[in-house]
Amino acid sequence: MVAEELLRGLEGLGLEIREALYERQGFWFDIHCPRDRIVEVAEAFDEKGYWIEDVLCVDWRERLELLYHFNHWEDPRRLSVRVQVDPADPEVPSICKVFPGAGWHEREIHEFFGVRFKGHPNLAYLFLHDEIDFYPLRKDRVPIPEEDKRLLTSMDFSPEEEDAFWINMGPQHPSTHGVLRLILKMRGEYIERAEPVLGYMHRMQEKMAEVRTYAQYYPNTARLDYVGPLAFSQCFVGAMERLCGLEVPERAQVIRTITLELNRIASHLLWLGTFLLDLGATTPYFFAFDDREQILDLMEGLTGARLTFSFFRIGGLYEDLNDGFLEGVARFIERMKKRFQIYDDLVTGNIIFVKRTKDVGVIPREVARRYGATGPTLRGSGVAYDVRRSEPYAAYSDFPPEVVVRQEGDSYARYLVRLEEIKRSLMVLEQAIERVPEGPFRLQKTPKKPVPGEVYFATESPRGQVGIYIVSDGTDKPYRLKWRSPSFSNLAAFTEVVKGQLIADAVATLGSLDLVIPEMDR
Amino acid sequence: MNVREVAGGALSLLKGMKVTIRAFFGPSVTCQYPRQTLELSPRFRGHIKLVPDEQGRLKCRVCGLCARSCPTDCIVVEGEKREGQKHKTLTRFLLDFTRCSHCGLCVEVCPTGAIGFSQDYNLASFKKEDFYFDLLEEFERRQKPV
Amino acid sequence: MIEWLKRRYREDFGGDPLRLALAMVGLAMILAVVVAFLYLVVGRTLKAVWSAWGWDVVRLFLGMVGVMAVVFGNALFLVWAERKVAGHMQIRIGPKEVGPYGLLQSIADSAKLLAKEIITPRLVDRPLYLLAPLVIFVPCLVAMVVIPFDARLQVRDINVGVVLILAFSSLTVLAIFMAGWGSVNKYSLIGGVRSISQGIAYEIPMLLAIIPVVMMSGTLSLKGIVEAQSRLWFVAVQPVAFLIYFISAVAETNRTPFDLPEAESELVAGYHTEYSGMRFSLFFLAEYTNMFIVSALATVFFLGGYKGPVLPGVVWFFLKTYFLIFIIMWFRWTFPRVRFDQLLNFSWKLLIPLAMANLLVTGGLLKL
Repeated sequence: MVAEELLRGLEGLGLEIREALYERQGFWFDIHCPRDRIVEVAEAFDEKGYWIEDVLCVDWRERLELLYHFNHWEDPRRLSVRVQVDPADPEVPSICKVFPGAGWHEREIHEFFGVRFKGHPNLAYLFLHDEIDFYPLRKDRVPIPEEDKRLLTSMDFSPEEEDAFWINMGPQHPSTHGVLRLILKMRGEYIERAEPVLGYMHRMQEKMAEVRTYAQYYPNTARLDYVGPLAFSQCFVGAMERLCGLEVPERAQVIRTITLELNRIASHLLWLGTFLLDLGATTPYFFAFDDREQILDLMEGLTGARLTFSFFRIGGLYEDLNDGFLEGVARFIERMKKRFQIYDDLVTGNIIFVKRTKDVGVIPREVARRYGATGPTLRGSGVAYDVRRSEPYAAYSDFPPEVVVRQEGDSYARYLVRLEEIKRSLMVLEQAIERVPEGPFRLQKTPKKPVPGEVYFATESPRGQVGIYIVSDGTDKPYRLKWRSPSFSNLAAFTEVVKGQLIADAVATLGSLDLVIPEMDR
Repeated sequence: MNVREVAGGALSLLKGMKVTIRAFFGPSVTCQYPRQTLELSPRFRGHIKLVPDEQGRLKCRVCGLCARSCPTDCIVVEGEKREGQKHKTLTRFLLDFTRCSHCGLCVEVCPTGAIGFSQDYNLASFKKEDFYFDLLEEFERRQKPV
Repeated sequence: MIEWLKRRYREDFGGDPLRLALAMVGLAMILAVVVAFLYLVVGRTLKAVWSAWGWDVVRLFLGMVGVMAVVFGNALFLVWAERKVAGHMQIRIGPKEVGPYGLLQSIADSAKLLAKEIITPRLVDRPLYLLAPLVIFVPCLVAMVVIPFDARLQVRDINVGVVLILAFSSLTVLAIFMAGWGSVNKYSLIGGVRSISQGIAYEIPMLLAIIPVVMMSGTLSLKGIVEAQSRLWFVAVQPVAFLIYFISAVAETNRTPFDLPEAESELVAGYHTEYSGMRFSLFFLAEYTNMFIVSALATVFFLGGYKGPVLPGVVWFFLKTYFLIFIIMWFRWTFPRVRFDQLLNFSWKLLIPLAMANLLVTGGLLKL
């Protein structure tokens, strides 16, 4: 298989490779790489067709550890490359020539940890601003040296050519789906370059995790992506269950699956409404929200909350099902099946809509691979990769959902993928509500202090693959917690794809990516 | 642009118009708040309140687990040991609602089930101080015979 | 009042009869001059006008008042109607609090707009910025002069009415450009530029769709065109021209699906971003009046104007016009926006050739 070939090649290069235990750690293999050979290793991965999942950094006080996670579409086994960096001389060659998607991750690590990446074209501020004079995620307060400050504030927005000008799609904008600021370099009506400025919703979720216990941190996970909170919740509790080796009762797993799929449908419906609102059609929004209300009413009956469901707990669920939930879901499925006709008539066939979205914002497979795009953004470009099939969690191995793929890669394809995904979710729901087993809904005892170690867990949110990396040092608070957000990588792919498009097309493409800014900014 | 494309396009537009005109003559699905209100589910998470037992007494033993498990430190619980009582008696229970995130950790962790969720949602006010709830006083007001 | 007079007398003239006498003489002189002016200049002019035009002046005056009433009444009605139609199409109710069925909502909206602070940005090009709302509104009033509401209800039936209307509706394009350029703002400029190219592109099919009608009725006067439809409405004979005219009309008034110049999700608000309060409401007023005018013209050209059985002509006219306005609103709340280059392609590559083909066919058939 691909992983074995790659590992043989890497061993031939003289690198140390250790096997990891997937059931407890979330990776299959660990590759230790000295820091000046990281580009070679990245090129080896690229050659074999791997895509970059995440780049993150852990501060172990006497050293900084960089982790590069790679994964493969056909052979979905996660491989992790570790580079140790000396904090006194924190310089590492950048791999963004090989994997451009690592560019933003490296910028983030630079401004939060102070690691300098040689060869990176633009190591300026991504999330933070220039009134901060220390590296926030380090364990001790390390001040920022002068030349780093200059590097961080080096973004320049003066027009280089005669007829080019910078236009700002500001943080307050009806169609940037939250507080996203895009600075576009325009030449006439065409966009030459898009420079997103992130961080307007940055809340230091990762630092908050370091000062709260695991149980106390749990509600934060729902606030990361408030449109599809359960995927993030599942990621966190799944990671803790994997770390501690807990066996969650069957009933809890099936109910988790049901609520996860309901959440997916609700998120796709919200996306549908807002995407069409961007394009100018104001009525489908209301029809979509009418359907979404049915789901939210069901979830309110079950959990008591309509948006930020704090429903999962480490080891099971917060409460058992209420009466009428399963019947309500069955009624909802029946109703939803009839509603697709409305969307098909009003939107899917509508020639104005088709002309706005066909062949607009085509993301080729290679671009998606190098940037780490996942979710419907990837599946609209012809790749059948879905975390629910490749790394099943909750009860997905019992009710495997069908993966929807389209080949064209344009915004219309992504729209069709999401619409089909709603139908497939309905099918999973139909099966799951028949087979909810009896039993406890929660483990009686869960450890307050997990064993020391590290764990990675991935789930499929409506936007793409969510990942969480937790380092536990044996106390009741995490040592390091890092989220891998799907919108972050999808937006990076967007900046590549938007070159040469009109503004109206850029708006359509941005809408079709289904970005939710809070999960991107954390 | 050939004839078939134009005709197909025009037909798709007419189909879309059929949907909206049906919605136009159909019923509306909105609730006319505040003249009508919807019923909340029994599990709705309003702010927390103290829950009485069958005799109408407090169940709180002032163990402080709720205050310790709150992620945002918004509960203040104080009590004193009185003569002849096995557990401490509650003298103060303050909730800083400006920081509460309705997570339910306090309700879940309470060993006696002394706190529960209320169903209040109409809580708008002009002053921040109105949201520092004194739950003990609210409990006594509720328990007072009318 | 008496106290005040007494006090003035004491303060200004107290004890000095000479000053009082001089003041009285001065006042008398001013009064004499004013009376003389009124009699000699104004009186004589009125007399001359009356002897030349007679009752026509009164008729003209009443007609203008009537037109203004229709324009403002229409705007009030359409503000409410648009929100109600939008509401019901979106499975909700529109305004319902202000008055029964929300009927007083337009008044509440106008009161709000009047009370708003009128902000003029410092760097705007003042003449252009300040005149744009006027230039966009006044041509609509002029165009209303020739519209026949009934056989005898028309302010002035000019024998080249069609030309007048088309000429004045082109002035809105100028006004939009003034607004876009005058508010020194990238977004307004882009919106203004787009709106102009859209306006020019869609005037041509509009014109080309009207010409067959003119050819068939043999006259350029609007009343004549309505009279020529006494037996058969032109829509039955010229369905293609009706469609082309209607689509171009929706594009001319910058309504969805052709409202890219005001597209909120892309350019904040296009050419009227920098206007607030009453100035903004003038743009709004102009848009709704334009909608009324193009629908009225569509009924005059294609749907038989005020002709119809049983009910008085005025009622038929308004029924037909408001039916077409309802269809324009229906379009707005159903379709997404057409992208700008697709919009222009649609006009230049589809509508104009189609309209010209229609014209040729009509001409050929009329000759035979």
